Amino acid sequence: MATVQVSEAEKVYILHGIRDDLRVDGRGCEDYRHMEIETDVVSNTDGSAKVTLGHTAVLVGVKAEIGKPRPTVPAEGYLEFFVDCSANATPEFEGRGGEELGTKLSNTLYKVFNNKRSIDLKSLCICAGEHCWVLYVDVLLLQCDGNLYDAISVAIKAALFNTKIPKVHISSDEEGGKEIELSDDPYDCMRLNVENVPCIVTLCKVGHRHVVDATLQEKACSVASLIISVTHKGTITCMRKVGGGSLDPESIFEMTEAGKRVGKALHAPLMKLLEQEESLGKKRQKVGFLG
Amino acid sequence: MLKSKTFVKKTRSGGVMKVVREHYLRDDIWCGSEVCTECKQESTVLQKDACMESSLCSYPHYLVPDTNVVLHQIDILEDPVICNVIILQTVLQEVRHRSAPVYKRLKDIIHEKEKRFYTFTNEHHRDTFIEREPGESANDRNDRAIRVAVKWYSQHLKTFESDTDGLKVVLLTNDQGNKQKAQDNGLLVYKCEEYVKSLIANPELVDRLALSSDDKNEITSSKVLFPEHLPLSRIQTGIKSSSFLQGTFRASRDNYLEATVFVQGEGEDSTEVLIQGLQNLNRAVHQDVVAVQLLPRSEWVAPSSVVLQDEGTAKDDEDAEEEEGKLRTAAVEAARKPTGKVVGIIKRNWRPFCGMLNVSQIKESTRHLFTPADRRIPRIRIETRQASTLSGQRIMVAIDGWPKDSRYPNGHFVRSLGGAGEKDTEEEVLLLEHDVPHQAFSQAVLSFLPKMPWAITPEDMMKREDLRPLTVCSVDPPGCTDIDDALHCRELENGNLEVGVHIADVSHFIRPGNALDKEAANRGTTVYLCGKRIDMVPELLSSNLCSLRSNVDRLAFSCIWEINHKAEILKTRFTKSVINSKASLTYAEAQMRIDDTNKNDDITKSLRGLNKLAKILKRQRIEKGALTLSSLEVRFHMDSETHDPIDLQTKELMETNSMVEEFMLLANISVAQKIYDEFSECALLRKHPAPPPSNYDILIKAAKSKEVKIHTDSAKALADSLDAAKVDGFPYFNTLLRILATRCMMQAVYFCSGMDSDFHHYGLASPIYTHFTSPIRRYADIIVHRLLAVAIGADTTYPDLMDKHKQSALCNNLNYRHKMSQYAQRASVAFHTQLFFKSRGILNEEGFVLFVRKNAIIVLIPKFGLEGTVFFDSKDKVSPNIVFEEEGPTLSVEQHKFHIFDKVKVTISLDDSNIQHQKIRMALIEPVIPGVSVPAPDTERPAKKQKLDH
Repeated sequence: MATVQVSEAEKVYILHGIRDDLRVDGRGCEDYRHMEIETDVVSNTDGSAKVTLGHTAVLVGVKAEIGKPRPTVPAEGYLEFFVDCSANATPEFEGRGGEELGTKLSNTLYKVFNNKRSIDLKSLCICAGEHCWVLYVDVLLLQCDGNLYDAISVAIKAALFNTKIPKVHISSDEEGGKEIELSDDPYDCMRLNVENVPCIVTLCKVGHRHVVDATLQEKACSVASLIISVTHKGTITCMRKVGGGSLDPESIFEMTEAGKRVGKALHAPLMKLLEQEESLGKKRQKVGFLG
Repeated sequence: MLKSKTFVKKTRSGGVMKVVREHYLRDDIWCGSEVCTECKQESTVLQKDACMESSLCSYPHYLVPDTNVVLHQIDILEDPVICNVIILQTVLQEVRHRSAPVYKRLKDIIHEKEKRFYTFTNEHHRDTFIEREPGESANDRNDRAIRVAVKWYSQHLKTFESDTDGLKVVLLTNDQGNKQKAQDNGLLVYKCEEYVKSLIANPELVDRLALSSDDKNEITSSKVLFPEHLPLSRIQTGIKSSSFLQGTFRASRDNYLEATVFVQGEGEDSTEVLIQGLQNLNRAVHQDVVAVQLLPRSEWVAPSSVVLQDEGTAKDDEDAEEEEGKLRTAAVEAARKPTGKVVGIIKRNWRPFCGMLNVSQIKESTRHLFTPADRRIPRIRIETRQASTLSGQRIMVAIDGWPKDSRYPNGHFVRSLGGAGEKDTEEEVLLLEHDVPHQAFSQAVLSFLPKMPWAITPEDMMKREDLRPLTVCSVDPPGCTDIDDALHCRELENGNLEVGVHIADVSHFIRPGNALDKEAANRGTTVYLCGKRIDMVPELLSSNLCSLRSNVDRLAFSCIWEINHKAEILKTRFTKSVINSKASLTYAEAQMRIDDTNKNDDITKSLRGLNKLAKILKRQRIEKGALTLSSLEVRFHMDSETHDPIDLQTKELMETNSMVEEFMLLANISVAQKIYDEFSECALLRKHPAPPPSNYDILIKAAKSKEVKIHTDSAKALADSLDAAKVDGFPYFNTLLRILATRCMMQAVYFCSGMDSDFHHYGLASPIYTHFTSPIRRYADIIVHRLLAVAIGADTTYPDLMDKHKQSALCNNLNYRHKMSQYAQRASVAFHTQLFFKSRGILNEEGFVLFVRKNAIIVLIPKFGLEGTVFFDSKDKVSPNIVFEEEGPTLSVEQHKFHIFDKVKVTISLDDSNIQHQKIRMALIEPVIPGVSVPAPDTERPAKKQKLDH
C-alpha cells in the first residue's frame, strides 16, 4: 500500500496534535475530510459512482448480468467484487504490484456487502435455481491518499443506489421451457434497496487515541487500525483489525463505540445527497472526470 | 453536442447486455429546399414549385411519408409522379431494419436525381432530435420524432413564405393515432390512400396502392379459413425445444395443395417434411421460411402423384375440400413421409411475381385474380380498374398480405411488362423469374467507372511489365465484344517455348467494397441469352477498357510459362502487365491461318505453336482421365431486322476452340495451385464432385441395351469406355451416350478452401481448379485475380478477402447466380425454339429416344438439339395399353416396345393453348401404332415458305 516516509519529529508532532484533538489539517479526531460524490458517471455500467475523499479517489461500477444461483442458496442472487489498483494511483501498483492489495480489499468487501442483511439478495433472483442477477462490482482506485476502505464503501453504496437493473419477465410455454424476455423500454427497470447497506469506518489507533479518515502521514504513525462496517442504525455488521500492532480490549471497545457514532452520522447525509441528486433526473449537469 | 443512446439487449447466450452509443447532434444539417435562404447548402434537392396535382393540397408541398407508408407503398413512391419527398432518417433506419429489399429500393429512389427525394438526418439535428420518454414505446418515439421533424420543417419553411404562396409539408401516415396527434399539433396530415386518390391527374396510381389491413374486411367473407399463425416468440421457443422445425417452404409445381419443407439439419443431414392440404399449408408461399409441426405418425401420408392446378374462377372452400379428398390415396406404409403443418411464418420471401390476369367474369368488378407464371406461387387477388387493358399482358404483382379469412393472398398491381408472347416481354419475364438482376446500372455504380478518355498512366506502367512488343492475339467466337483472354507463344533462345495467357485486368478497375464491386458481386455472372447479353459490369468496362481488343494498349494479368516441346511446364510466373493485342480472331479465322501453309507471319507462327502444344496438353489430360462430354448447343440465325430466329443449327467445334480452352484450363490450374499455396484458408476454388455410383444406373442400362459395357469406377474408366462405345450402323450412338453421361454429372461449384476438404475436379481430372480467365463475365474470377495479385505482391489485401465465412457466403451467391443464369439461358433457348417453330408450323423430324418414362418417351431431335416428350396417355383420349418395365427400361405401347436409343419419327408443333406456358408438342409418326401415332402431315406449306424467303 502506498506509504509515506515520516520522520521522528513529524511523528511526535502528529501524535501530540491528536492527543489534543487537533490534527495536522485542522480536523478533529472524528472528522472526515471533504468528500465529493457523483453517481451515474460511467454510462455503460448499470450503476456507477465516483467518490473523492481528500485526495483519495475511487470509481465504482456495477454491472448486472444473468447468472446461475449458487446451489446452496438457489433463491438468491449474489455480488462479485473486483478491485483494480490502477498504476495511476501510485507507481507501486505498476505491473502486478497492486494485486495483493486488490485481493485484500475485495475479500473484505465480500465479507461486508455480500450477505442478505446488507442487500436484499432475494430481489436479485429471477427464477429460483436457474437464473439470478449477479452484480459485478468493479472498484477502480484512481488515487490513494489514505482511508481507502471508507471511500470504497461509500462509493459502493452510492453505486448500488444508482444501479438500474433491466426488468425481465419469464415466459413459459406448455412444455415447461422457460424463456427470459427483456422489457423493450429502457426506463422500465428495478432499483435496489440500499437502506441496509453498511459503510466502513476505519479507525486508526494513534498514540492513545484513535482517529477516523487517517491521512497517509497519520497512518504512518499508527500501529494498528480497526475496520468496522456500520449500518444506518448503528449496527456493526463486520469488524476487522489490520496492522501489526496490538489493541487492548478497552480501546477496542472505545473504537467500536466511536465507529458506531461516526458511521451513523455518515449515512444520513449520504442518503440525503444521493436522493437529491437522483431527483434532478436528466437535468443534472454531469461533472465527470474533467470537472 | 453529445448525447448517448442507451439500450439493453439480450445476447445469444441468454445474458443481458447494456449498449451505449454516442450520438452527436449538429447544427449544420440543411433542409434541402430551394426556397431556403438560411441553410448554407451547396445544392438543393427539393424544388421551389413542388406541384403535384392533388385536389387535397392545391398549394406546392413536400411529402413526408412515415415508415409504414414507405414499407407498404413503395410501389407508389417509385412512380415518377411522386417527387419532392423528404425521407427522414428515422424512417430510413426503421425501413432498413424491417425490410432489406424495400430499403434497397428506397435508396435507389433517393439516388435518382429526377425523383427529388431528400434524406433529412433528423436524428442528428439539434432541433429535431428527441429522447425516448419513460413509458414510451420505441414506435411511439419514432412517430413523435417524425412529427417533430415535420413540425420543424413547416416552421422552417414558413419563414420564407413571403415570396411563395405557402410551401407546405404534408405528413403521410396510415396510423390513426399518429394522424390524430399530428392534427392536434397543427400539422398537415393525410392517409396515404386519401392523398393518392386526390391525385386527379394520375388515377392509375390508385391501382398500385397496397391494401392496408383495415380494408381487408370488405374484400372477403368473414369466415376464417386458416388457423392463426403463431407469434415469433412462440415459434422460437418451439424451435428451441424442437417441437417445431424450421425450414424453407417449397411448393409443388404440379399440385397446388402439396408442398415440402426443407429442413436443414446439423451438418449434412437434412430432412423434408411433406405438407398437404390448404389448412396445413396455412398461407405459406414458395420460398418462405416457416415453422412446421410434425403430425402424429398415424397421419403421415405419401406424396400424391396427381396433378392439380388451381384453375377457373375464384373458388369457395367447398371445392377445395373436394379436391383435397382426391389427395387421400391409400399409400403403402413405406412410401409415407414425415408430414406436418405450417404453424407460423418466420420470414416471408415475397417478391413481385410475373404472370397474367384472369379477368373476372363480372364486368364491372374491380377485383380480379392474377395467375403467376411460376406454378408454385398461389393465385393473387388484386384490385384494378384497368382489367380490360391488362388482360393479355404480362404484368407484375406484389403480395401485400394473406389474411386468415381469405382464400387467396391480396396483392396489388406493380407494372405491366408488355403483351404476352412478345419477344421483349417474354425476355423480361424470364429474367425476372430467374432472379437475374438486369436493371440498368445505377448512378452510384457508374460513378466508380474510370473517367473517359482513359489512358494508361506512367504510374501504371511503372508497376507493370511492358509486354506490348509481344505478338499477342485473341481468339473468340464471332461477334464477341467482351474479350477477356489473349494468348502468345514464342520460341526462346534455349529452344523452349514461352507461352502467355493474358487476362483482362478487371480487378484494376473494380476496387473492393465500392458500389461497382458490390453490384458485380451481386450479379455474379454475365448472362447470355439468345441475342442479348446482361452484363455483370457496365459496358464501358466489359466492351471497352477491359476488353483485350486488337491494336490498343490494355492492362492485363498475365500467366507466363516456359514450356518445352513435350509440353512440360518448366517455369510458371504471374505478372500484371500491359499488352497490345495484334489481332482479334474468330475461331474460324484462326483455324484458317493455321491451315494456310502460305502464311508465315508472327501471329500465325504463334498460333501454330499454341495449337501444337494444346494437342499434347489435351492428350495428356485425357490420359489422366478427363471427360469429353457432350451436350447439344444450338445457335440461332437471327433475322437482322426483326431479331426473330430464322434458322437454327447446332454449334460445331473447331480445333482452335479446344486450343484456347486448353490454355485457359492450364492457366486456371496454375493459378488455383498458386493461390491455394499462398492462402490455404481462403482461396476461392472450383470443384466438381464425383457423382454417386447410382447416378450412372441409367447410362449403364442404356448402354447395355446395345450390348455395350460402360465402366464407371473412375473418370478414366468412364472416359475410356465412352471412347470405345461404338455400334455399327449407328454413328450417332456415341454422341447420345455422351449426352446421357452429361446428365449423370454433378454440378460444379465454387467454394472456399478453408471450408471444405475435397478439392477434386472430376470432369477435368484435376486435383485443384479455379476460374481465372473470364473476369469480365464472372465475379469469381475477380476474387481470384485479387488473391493472386496479393500473392505476387502486386496489390493490397482487404479484410473480407481473407474472411473464409464471408468468402463462403459469396460462393453461395455465385453458385446460385450461376445456376439461375444457366436456367435463364435454357429458358431463352426454349423460347426462341418456340418462336422458330411458331413460324414453321408443323414439321416432321427424325429423333432418338433418350429416356423412357412411365407414360411417355423423351425424344431428342439432333438437328435442332431439341428434346420433347411424347405422351401416351391424354385426358381426352382412351389411353392405350401401356406397360412399363423398370429393368431395361422399356415401355410397351400396345404391340410396340420402346427402348432407349430407338429411332423414331415425330411431328413437332407449337402448342399455344395456354399463352403463359407455351410448349413444343411432339407426336409420334413412326413406328406406326394404330390409335397412338398420327399420320405424317404435309409440311410443305408454300404460303409460310414464301414469307420466310424474303
